Amino acid sequence: MLQFARDYLPLYFQGTLVAIGVTLLSMMLSVAIGLLAALGRLSGSHAARSIVSAYVALFRGIPPLVLLYVVYFGLPSWAEQMGIQPLAAFLAPLNNRVFSAVVAFGVNSGAYSTEIIRSAIAAIPHEQMEAAQSLGMSYWLAMRRIIVPQAARVAFPPLGNEFIAVLKGTSLASVIGVTELMRDAQLVAAATFQNLMAYSLAGVYYVALVIMLQSAVTWIEGRLSPAHK
Amino acid sequence: MPFTYLRRENARAAGAALPAGERRHASPGPEPPVLELIGVGKTFGKTTPLAALADVSLRVSRGESVAIVGPSGSGKTTLLRCINFLVPYDTGRILVNGRLIGYREHRGRLVPDTEQRVNDIRKRIGMVFQRFNLFPHRTVLGNLLEGPLYVLKVPRPQAVERAKAALERVGLTDKIDAYPAQLSGGQQQRVAIARALCMEPELMLFDEVTSALDPELVGEVLAVIRRLAQQGMTMVIVTHEMAFARDVADRVVFMEAGRVVVDHRTAEFFARPATPRIEAFLSRFAVPGGAG
Repeated sequence: MLQFARDYLPLYFQGTLVAIGVTLLSMMLSVAIGLLAALGRLSGSHAARSIVSAYVALFRGIPPLVLLYVVYFGLPSWAEQMGIQPLAAFLAPLNNRVFSAVVAFGVNSGAYSTEIIRSAIAAIPHEQMEAAQSLGMSYWLAMRRIIVPQAARVAFPPLGNEFIAVLKGTSLASVIGVTELMRDAQLVAAATFQNLMAYSLAGVYYVALVIMLQSAVTWIEGRLSPAHK
Repeated sequence: MPFTYLRRENARAAGAALPAGERRHASPGPEPPVLELIGVGKTFGKTTPLAALADVSLRVSRGESVAIVGPSGSGKTTLLRCINFLVPYDTGRILVNGRLIGYREHRGRLVPDTEQRVNDIRKRIGMVFQRFNLFPHRTVLGNLLEGPLYVLKVPRPQAVERAKAALERVGLTDKIDAYPAQLSGGQQQRVAIARALCMEPELMLFDEVTSALDPELVGEVLAVIRRLAQQGMTMVIVTHEMAFARDVADRVVFMEAGRVVVDHRTAEFFARPATPRIEAFLSRFAVPGGAG
């Protein structure tokens, strides 16, 4: 077992790096979408609120694997069949497996991030907005300087959980051939016929990753809390 | 270009064909009051409307401090919040330094004003809240810098100077790097006053600023406000501290059910309560009458 782990260390390590990379990029996309959508949902605009509600309902409902198939196998070939050049060119980057995976996971997770960030902003007392406005701040300046920084602290722990969920979800990218951790395990299993060993080892890597991630989240959370200072 | 509001009848009385700006310099008359409320009304709720304010008129001149007292639910806080338009009033006008806040005149009718112009007036009005409302994620200095840096666009070194000067006025120089959670209620409220002072306001609004404090912390906050009054700050103070109102205010306004019942010089207000209702109200605060 140890020998096995040692032999395939470089391969699994590389897969781990790919998994981390896809997770980081997906989470950046997810949080960016989440912040924009949460602000839209809380804004006075009726149209923005409806669009965000529809987005959340839709992408919370679609399983990530289905979304991944739609994005990678569906969209680029559809655009080509339609023969609309600008659309095809726009969707062409989705032929890249990693890019497709990031888009699918980011958009999927963004629906959850939206809810997390929205509820975090809503948790900041209304008086904070009033105090900012009494200084002559506009709504958006107050959001940027006063409300969102405080909401970030509230949103951080649940976003950490979302991060972990996305990390584990990246194993799905193996089905479109992204050579991340799970895909490497499949290759090793096929080459050695040691299925149990190959997949269990991947499991060990995931568990180790999640534990490290969780400690990082806890550590940063501690640094963020005002009590720490 | 500041928006100078003149009531139509005033404009006619002034008579001259000069543009408004020049007329103000040309007339040797008294400057406009810092704050003027004309028949202000506010109703909350649509199905069961509740008149929080009805036909409130009030003038506050430069350097004057006016205490607003009255029973709970009489509209004192709503009145204060209407002045800087945290609560939009429905009827009447509120003028701050002669500028109408929250609305502008369009073809003889009042229409809601832009957020930017409301903020333009707001930044000259300091507000201190009952529950401090400091920004918990920023240090004391950070709290004091937000307004000057991001609203007034004062360069950082000058903003820091202002913050230090304001902290000195409230006697908290040593707490400059503390977070709000590390301060007592009285200290937090003094920081809140300093935060408002950093905007160099022409008018300060105090909304029951000692109601949320432990009794032994009330004194330090009142002392700061008293000092501001002595330095000539124009202030409107909603308070339940009758002794303090008597000590600091030039005038006392008694409100009940959204209306101004009396608006008297302080000495007169306490010496000769205008109605039995006010006499009863004052007796509960054990403020001996007649000594003014």
